[in-house]
Amino acid sequence: MSIEWIEQVLQLTVQMGTVYLLASLGEIYAERSGVLNLGLEGMMLMGAATSFMFTLAYGHLSAILTSIIVGALMGLILSILVVDMKLNQVVVGLAMTMLGAGLSGFFTFPEVRKNLLLRLNPSLPEEVLLIQQAQKLPEIQIPLLSNIPVIGKMFFSHNLLVYFSFILSIAMWFILFKTRIGLTIRSVGENPSMADSLGVNVYMVRRMTVILSGVFASLAGAYFFIGFHPFWREGVTAGRGFIALALVILATWSPMRAILGAYLFGGVETFQYRLQLFGLGAQSPYFLAMLPYILTIMTLIIISTESIKKRIGAPASLGIPYAREE
Amino acid sequence: MKLAKTIIMPHSVKIKRRLHISRKLSILTTFSTLVLAFGVSGIFFAMIGLNPLDVYSYMVGVYTSPTLLLKALERAIPIGLAALGLSIAFRMNFWNIGAEGQMYMGMFASTGIVLLHAYYDLIPDYLVLLLMILASFVTGGLWCGLPAFLKAKMRVNEILTTLMMNYVAMYFVDFLIYGPWRDPKGYGFPLSIPFPEYAKLTMIFGEFAYSGLLLLCIAVALAVVILRYTKLGFELKIVGEGIDIARYAGIRITKVITLGGILSGGIAGLGGLAIVSGIIGRLRPRASPGYGYTAIIVILLSALNPWLVVPVSIFFGGIFVAGDILQATLKIPGAAVEMHQALIFLFIVVGEFLKRYKITITREVVR
Amino acid sequence: MEELVSLRGIIKHFPGVIANDNVSFTLRKGEIHALLGENGAGKTTLMNILYGLYRPDIGEIYVEGRKVEINSPKDAITLGIGMVHQNFKLIPSHTVLENIILGLKKSGLVIKSRKIGEEIKKLAESYGWRINPNAYVWQLTAGEKQQVELLKILYRDAKILILDEPTSVLTPQECRILLQALRRMAKEGKGIIFITHKLDEVFAISDRVTVMRKGRVLVTKETSETNMSELAQYMVGRPVIFTIEKKESRPSGEAITIKNLKAFNDKGVLALKDVNLKVMKNEIVGIIGVTGNGQQELVEVIAGLRKASGGSLIVDGVNIINSSPEKIIELGIAYIPPEPLRYGIAPNLTVLDNLFMKAYRYKPYSNGVIVNWKKIYNKAEELIREFQIVPENPYAKARSLSGGNLQRLILARELSGLIGEKIPRLIVAAYPTKGLDVGATEFVHKTLIEYSRKGSGILFVSEDIEEALMISDRVAVMHDGKIVRVFRPGEVDIDKIGLMMAGVEIAFK
Repeated sequence: MSIEWIEQVLQLTVQMGTVYLLASLGEIYAERSGVLNLGLEGMMLMGAATSFMFTLAYGHLSAILTSIIVGALMGLILSILVVDMKLNQVVVGLAMTMLGAGLSGFFTFPEVRKNLLLRLNPSLPEEVLLIQQAQKLPEIQIPLLSNIPVIGKMFFSHNLLVYFSFILSIAMWFILFKTRIGLTIRSVGENPSMADSLGVNVYMVRRMTVILSGVFASLAGAYFFIGFHPFWREGVTAGRGFIALALVILATWSPMRAILGAYLFGGVETFQYRLQLFGLGAQSPYFLAMLPYILTIMTLIIISTESIKKRIGAPASLGIPYAREE
Repeated sequence: MKLAKTIIMPHSVKIKRRLHISRKLSILTTFSTLVLAFGVSGIFFAMIGLNPLDVYSYMVGVYTSPTLLLKALERAIPIGLAALGLSIAFRMNFWNIGAEGQMYMGMFASTGIVLLHAYYDLIPDYLVLLLMILASFVTGGLWCGLPAFLKAKMRVNEILTTLMMNYVAMYFVDFLIYGPWRDPKGYGFPLSIPFPEYAKLTMIFGEFAYSGLLLLCIAVALAVVILRYTKLGFELKIVGEGIDIARYAGIRITKVITLGGILSGGIAGLGGLAIVSGIIGRLRPRASPGYGYTAIIVILLSALNPWLVVPVSIFFGGIFVAGDILQATLKIPGAAVEMHQALIFLFIVVGEFLKRYKITITREVVR
Repeated sequence: MEELVSLRGIIKHFPGVIANDNVSFTLRKGEIHALLGENGAGKTTLMNILYGLYRPDIGEIYVEGRKVEINSPKDAITLGIGMVHQNFKLIPSHTVLENIILGLKKSGLVIKSRKIGEEIKKLAESYGWRINPNAYVWQLTAGEKQQVELLKILYRDAKILILDEPTSVLTPQECRILLQALRRMAKEGKGIIFITHKLDEVFAISDRVTVMRKGRVLVTKETSETNMSELAQYMVGRPVIFTIEKKESRPSGEAITIKNLKAFNDKGVLALKDVNLKVMKNEIVGIIGVTGNGQQELVEVIAGLRKASGGSLIVDGVNIINSSPEKIIELGIAYIPPEPLRYGIAPNLTVLDNLFMKAYRYKPYSNGVIVNWKKIYNKAEELIREFQIVPENPYAKARSLSGGNLQRLILARELSGLIGEKIPRLIVAAYPTKGLDVGATEFVHKTLIEYSRKGSGILFVSEDIEEALMISDRVAVMHDGKIVRVFRPGEVDIDKIGLMMAGVEIAFK
């Protein structure tokens, strides 16, 4: 194991972890306000597909912007169904995951994709219309710092979204715990009827957080595709939305802890592939792949014990639609 | 001076909860939501230059051709078994979304029995299938019994635990099939040895009956008996109405929830058996294309009624088969099938809302 | 004196009852106004109207002389009205500061926690409280939580404070601290409405007192111009002569003996301090007392639904304390719970399901595995006739039944000897006639008396003294987690009963 190998593993750990971090940030807000968004995976796929198409058509910036819009739309649909119509969040969430998987696969199917790309940008050359990959986001090496041995690449050699996600997590932690907006969101998730009686518009808060979770999930999908693994296939995110969902629990609904958890999960996943290259047993990757889920189940059990529940338990109204009385 | 203030509110939407849902309304809503779902899918098919009617006729064709119907039936069996499992969990208001994982555990157990038989010759031929059934039931049952017990004892959220355990089960099967259980004569493909004929669900009595169907029917009967005629079934129903009322009635809640979980996962585990032993004939990774999630749609559409599970899962089995055919003949992407299912799913859920509430839009004059 | 609030001619109907019947009420600046009455007298409804939780059918509300409409708590808060509910509306996992400033714009977008923390501390200190604004609410005692509730209101500069039975969760020391703080608030010119049903508190704190009974205001007086026995009489009402045919009871053997029973309530306060009581077979023992003095906890402990922390329940010489509900059902202890729709009925299930919710597992209705629905159906039809449950369809959803019919359903389930074909040895009936109309009430009374004469022992908990005196063979007065006195109806006059319920020690001749 050379220094380069270690440097590369650390760098990939952060880059992989960023997928989970971005997706979990929005989900933390949604769950903090009391809504479980199980449609994360579908929204990530939509983001990945959108970024794929728009990178081909107009480049990276358009890809990121459009995936944000698509995510907001998915979030809006979800919010109408679960916040306004008060439908079961589990069922609707799973349906959204299926819908996202279906739609993203449908629109990127070669025949469909060709037509769509031509409509988006008629000047695209023929050979672009059917390629299965897109250009990756450029990495920005921070001069000098990125040359620090071992940790230089880990912290200072990434594309913009990675830096952005890190700063954003801190900002979102600050908003959630130190501002009036965050207090309002958390209170809605703990006791919506009380928040309502103090003049908080519970429905609006929840709509906004659900839309936000859509935006972040979609952005995570876009990052995953153009920032990490720009080779398209159907279902390209391969269940990572559910890992992000697990991360929210592991981080016990805190954006700050989500950073640690995200890089932990990123590291676990990087190791899965790297260890195989070293021939360290064919078994290990599968047990490593289970690890995030097992850790999450253990976290769930721990935070269900009485003494810990009152400190960092799940938001009290998580999953329960709010209906005003009388 | 008096000014007459007249405000006309163009859309005054009133939503009121219905007290009674008539059967007619219920059937009508379900039917029309299905029609709507097909309509919306049709729009997507039209977008890729296909005549939706052609697509629909292929879909209908699945149910009219005996060979295709048999294929649909083959797939309906794991879906139906998982849905029957869910009928028990949902009855006690236990949100088991882990049928997928419970099926993987069923696949693991039934393959395990086959390998014990093939590698160590510990089991006589005629006992193999029977033991596979038993083992997949027990393993699937434990896979759901654990979250059920945690829910009953510590109120651990079952939605999240059952969901997470799906992935644990899936990777566990991956591990086995890429590792110790790989067929040594399989040219390195991640496949188990092919199952011997007596370990498969096959046609019995010549071409007259499919043994998988028999399994499904037994499971339907089992679910009906449990839910309608046993003490446990009644207890599940009361627990489903709330923990307080169940305690009041003197029901042993931990026991009932854990037992309900085991039964639910056990029946879903049989679904796993039906995949490896009925459809594929060996174990391979990712053997279920999401039957465990489809089962959730099936059981909701069946309104938790075990009898309805059979036709509804044949309908969904047909959608999977139709998807394969459309992919092969019309070059429709496989994702279209998933999208089609998701639309049906979404519209059914919205339909449930429409059943429960009465929406009136009026032009109201406020003075 | 300046009037802060004036409620005029308030009428509020709920389906089947008039909760407020032409009620008028005023609150002056700087006064503590006690609103006294039994549970169900309409006090809380009236205050919920003032706080915007309900809208009156008829009536006007004036705040500081201006006519106002209060459609939501938000409106009330804007008008300077704050309410402390009986159950605290606080978020345990949030800090004191966060609970206080929720919904307030002046806290700043980024919460100025140091500055606000200082303000809160100072505000608390001005009332003699020590509060750490950064403590989490789950770490606080009940008394401190109440202080946070009050601070939440005071921090919003409320002028009108409504406190709904604020002392019910407090220890005596905490009570003293609260009353002192309230006096200081009144001195500052705030008006305080103090809802209570404890007479001693009225005299300890209030300037004026209004007594409500059955939805009406009976009297408003300066506290200094009245006395306990006058108020007790207003509260309880004149004894009405009821006649109900009742054979002499012939107690035979013990149904249950309760010894030194102790238990905590949901809030972790010791609600049963030392209960001693014996119920004989063939006898009705009525328990009267102001709600919240441990009655609910007592019946729940007997039914096995609440853990006792000490003492014993003796049935046939065996201590059955903390047995499972199942075991207690099998001993023949029937339980008619309060608020049947919450505790005793599964509204989405059928009448038949509800009737056999306990008996389904016993012979002859079950062989241990399979339930015999045929037998159950036949028996259900029989019970529906016997107890006159309408509709007569066993498959009707319980949700569609009226209150009276639900209570008949519960009586049928609990009394008719479905388990072991015997009538119950003990029937624990908690507020079985609450909210029922005259006919249904009479049916419940008749049924209970009938069973007591057939051999059941009955523990009958009621809010209504007259009802308890009429039905019971013996009456026990409960106060502060203890049985204060047991006597026969007619032995003690009703004024004195009122005083005992209020916790006043009475010397008997």
